[in-house]
Amino acid sequence: MTQSTSFLRAVQPAVRELKVTFFLLNRNLLQRISMVIILLLILIAIFAPVIAPYPGHAISDTNPKDKLLPPSSQYFFGTDELGRDLFSRILFGTRISLRTALLAVGLALLIGAPLGAIAGGLGGIADEIIMRLTDIFLSFPPLLLAIAISSFLGPSLENAILAIAISWWPWYTRIIRGQAVSIRERQFVRAARAIGTPLPKIIFSHILPNTLAPVIVQASMDIGGVILTIASLSFLGLGAQPPIPEWGLLISSSRTYFLNAWWYSTFPGIAIFITVMVFNLIGDGIREVLDPRTRKF
Amino acid sequence: MTKFILRRVLLGIIVLLGVAFITFFVARVVPSNPAAKWAGPRANPEQIAKATIELGLDKPLVVQFGKYLMDLFRGNLGNSLRTRRPITQELLESLPATVELVLLSTIAAVFIGIPLGVISAKRKDKLIDHLSRLFSIGAVSLPTFWIGLILQLVFFRILDIFPMGGQLSTEIKILMDIPKVTGFLIFDCLITGNFTILWDALWHIVLPGITIALYPIGLVARMTRSAMLEILNEDYITAARSYGLKERTVLWSYALKNSIGPTSTVVALSIGYTLVNTFLTESIFTWPGIGSYISSAVIGNDYPAIMGVTIFSAFSYVLLNLAADIIIALDPRVRT
Amino acid sequence: MEKTMKLFIVLSLISIFIITGSAFAADTPTFAVYALNSEPLTNWDPAIEFSNGIHVHNNMYEQLLRYDSIEEKIIPMLAESYTVSEDGLTWTFNLRAGVKFQNGDDFTAEDVKFSVERTMQLAAGASYIWSAVESINVVDPLTVEFKLAYKNPLDLVAATGYAAFIYSSKCVNEDNTWIDETPGCGTGPYMLRSAKWGDEVILQKFDGYWGGWQENSIDIVVFKKVSETATRRQMIETGEAAITVELPYTDVEVLKNNPEVVVSVNPSLQNLIGMFNTQKAPLDNVKLRQALAYAFPYQAVIDTVIGGYGQQSYGMVPAGLWGWSDQLPRYEYDLEKAKALLEEAGAGSDLSLVLTYTAGNEAEKSTAELYKSELAKLGVNLDIRGMPWDSQWEMALGDPSQRQDILMMYWWPDLPSPYSFLYSTFHSEDEPLFNLAYYKNPEFDQLIDGGNEMTSSDIEAAKQMFIDAQKMLLDDAASIFMYDRQDIWVTYKTIQGFKFNPAYPTVVFFHELTVQN
Repeated sequence: MTQSTSFLRAVQPAVRELKVTFFLLNRNLLQRISMVIILLLILIAIFAPVIAPYPGHAISDTNPKDKLLPPSSQYFFGTDELGRDLFSRILFGTRISLRTALLAVGLALLIGAPLGAIAGGLGGIADEIIMRLTDIFLSFPPLLLAIAISSFLGPSLENAILAIAISWWPWYTRIIRGQAVSIRERQFVRAARAIGTPLPKIIFSHILPNTLAPVIVQASMDIGGVILTIASLSFLGLGAQPPIPEWGLLISSSRTYFLNAWWYSTFPGIAIFITVMVFNLIGDGIREVLDPRTRKF
Repeated sequence: MTKFILRRVLLGIIVLLGVAFITFFVARVVPSNPAAKWAGPRANPEQIAKATIELGLDKPLVVQFGKYLMDLFRGNLGNSLRTRRPITQELLESLPATVELVLLSTIAAVFIGIPLGVISAKRKDKLIDHLSRLFSIGAVSLPTFWIGLILQLVFFRILDIFPMGGQLSTEIKILMDIPKVTGFLIFDCLITGNFTILWDALWHIVLPGITIALYPIGLVARMTRSAMLEILNEDYITAARSYGLKERTVLWSYALKNSIGPTSTVVALSIGYTLVNTFLTESIFTWPGIGSYISSAVIGNDYPAIMGVTIFSAFSYVLLNLAADIIIALDPRVRT
Repeated sequence: MEKTMKLFIVLSLISIFIITGSAFAADTPTFAVYALNSEPLTNWDPAIEFSNGIHVHNNMYEQLLRYDSIEEKIIPMLAESYTVSEDGLTWTFNLRAGVKFQNGDDFTAEDVKFSVERTMQLAAGASYIWSAVESINVVDPLTVEFKLAYKNPLDLVAATGYAAFIYSSKCVNEDNTWIDETPGCGTGPYMLRSAKWGDEVILQKFDGYWGGWQENSIDIVVFKKVSETATRRQMIETGEAAITVELPYTDVEVLKNNPEVVVSVNPSLQNLIGMFNTQKAPLDNVKLRQALAYAFPYQAVIDTVIGGYGQQSYGMVPAGLWGWSDQLPRYEYDLEKAKALLEEAGAGSDLSLVLTYTAGNEAEKSTAELYKSELAKLGVNLDIRGMPWDSQWEMALGDPSQRQDILMMYWWPDLPSPYSFLYSTFHSEDEPLFNLAYYKNPEFDQLIDGGNEMTSSDIEAAKQMFIDAQKMLLDDAASIFMYDRQDIWVTYKTIQGFKFNPAYPTVVFFHELTVQN
């Protein structure tokens, strides 16, 4: 068996699951709109330098003569204290938010998924230890562990990603473990075990690929929550640093000016709200689709 | 049942130990020079050497962790770098203001969130369900700190109805005797019957209260809805219906009662979110609680204080969840 | 039905407002809130506090003298007069009679000796101001004599806003530590009433104050931390706060048109500087430093960041302090010149520099961002890092190879003397403390040390020496002297008698104020 065919076989269930999921999601209007918006956000993230009227304003340019102007045909969302076009900065912010959220979720999966597969695949002591570990991590109030870690690592976007991943992985471990326990008893795993396939190989080439599909779907929809977390960290001064146009940081900088410049706080907040909301809407739909009790087709 | 509770308590202790270990790890092992971080940036070599001994950094890690646990057990969280005062004492001083906000928001979450979830489940896929779901998803998608600013903009700046921040008007605070019985302002005003101050305090808590309550309301409504949907599909509900019991009785008394287990877990979870929301919003509303305390600590790089808040909140949170689980355990169906 | 309900609610609201409104009778004490941007004080010990406590302590404690830096004259406080010997090494202070501490004790020369000696012994905070003092002798209960090791303007030292306070020995423990929150430790017009640590300090009038009280003076003073600028602005608009500072200029423009408040703009002795790392490549090259000084957008920063409330600095000594001179040359914003110098310096196109600034300070943040965008035009990448001051400082004092290239900070005086601006910041240091340009120039050291000695005997000569010294800093481009900023104070309309003294930055002497309704 070559690497590539084994890979294809491994992702096959994931692809099938995704197809089904999207088919089901597509039946609900709200979810259809959400998917369109997500697609739009991805496009904005990719093409931000092309769409933004003042791409330089999102990087290092300043334009002090136009500081704190209200929205106009020249500056759709108005300008900030250094005369930068908020519209351009918010467009670039999409890029930053989506990328950091993807990285954070990816990293959390990278930590959480193998641990879950090991716990579910091995059972026994290993299972007990890993699951108690997730209990411990999940017993911190949400966000708090991320605050503590990123303040000790020093404030930066990279450290915020790390901090979020460290406080987020247990969710995935739990989901994967649940799946793994049921897969362990399935025919093909039993067969593999019977012919003496070593346990690590069973876990990583049989159990893990088969559990990955739902968890990836789940994880991609957690992006909303992660974006909110990153924005919160940046708002506290623990995430992105100026002049990065991260949304939470934009709101944080706007605090000094918002009584005179309502647009400065309002638009980045709406951007966060819409993005998080569409991901949550889709996530909600997916939960219903994946839940066998409410699944109807 | 006793066995279950015992097992749960034991587990709780393990989790507390784990939480202590993680905080220990973050504070003492991750930084390259923990003593320098602990002693503060203006520390001279002697002070750092002193901190090294105080923290026991010259000893093996196991011994260090043991000492750390002992300190925690005695309620000693160290001293703040900025104020040089014991963190435990500072936390206890700012606790009542935060607890007041958290309690209020949790009450709102229960009394708005649960009915919303029940109605939504009852009228699944009807308009009211869609609206309530949209509201609850919206509520958990809003950046708390942003909604705080927007509420200030609308209700203070434009409409001028509510004050922008603080727990009381300055005038009242300085010129009147503020009742101090339990330290909880609103409660103290109530029991001493001081309605002028009570009114002022209520007026001030509205905006921060709404800001902080939105997320938990949405969360509780969503969770209640799915718990109810699950239960409404159960056989005994169908049976109850077929006996001709009134739909209202089936819904509010059978189904809701049976969803108390999952719901109390959710309420515990929502308290966690409320607490975090206070971290993000108290400074916006000049609310003198733990949230303002941790945001000044973050700005001032006051590591011991950040760690103190983390440990303190995590411990309270674990104990809270433990309590929630024990309450559920009193529910006969969970007995094992 | 609904209408009556609404009417009922409105009526009950109104009645409650009337009740709360009438709860305050006419003879209730007057109070004033000073809304500060950070905690009112960080240490109760007047010998140690070298930070925000300047606000509170200057109302509770007094110095022997005070200095009015607008009129450039000494104001007698606990000392009515003083003399200095021919050689400038013996200073004799004649103390005011009939002064009482807030706890009822008499104020005597022993208290002066005790306070200054203890402050020097603790060697904390700003105690170094007394470093010239060799011994303190009590001549009689109302006369005290200071012997100096070297010539030093002790009258200015005794007038300092930190570490020059006279306090009661009853407030100190046996082990020399301060007993926190003991009332009555000072001779000042206000005494401690209550405090919530890190949040507020409340003082009340000391009836037996030697300076007496005018009519309508303020009975209770509240120092309150309100970190959100928007909230501070709201408090001053509604009269909830009597005084506030550190508002963004955007708010100031709005408040100027508000008849409820009075906006006063005053020179402050604060300036913003960007110290070049003169010891580390690539900025050890003076041509490169000059290029960077030409690339700084002075006027744009002043207009944008501080809304025009300030001016481009002439050297290190800020406008409003003696030793300032508009005859000093300035680097003007000139990208062409900067480009030419950059080429002359032989800097590659991939030049990348690290600038640190104090996180949380909006003005510094915006300045850094504006500078970054100018340097980008020259192909120089400026990596701007906002960090808490503590970390900024830690980096500046740490491993020399890891230090920043440019360090941005505000500087303000401890002593009302140019020496205070030039010594800590540019005098050679073996181990850096505040000379974060790591500047080493023996000629410069000699000039400013000489100027300091000359201060009490020949101030004109001293002034010239300080000006010459600054010329050296400019030739060597040791730092970018960005701007001297003005202080903007907003007071509520009922507050009268507000005077401003830049020698005590952001201090309000509440004893001078009255409330007029």
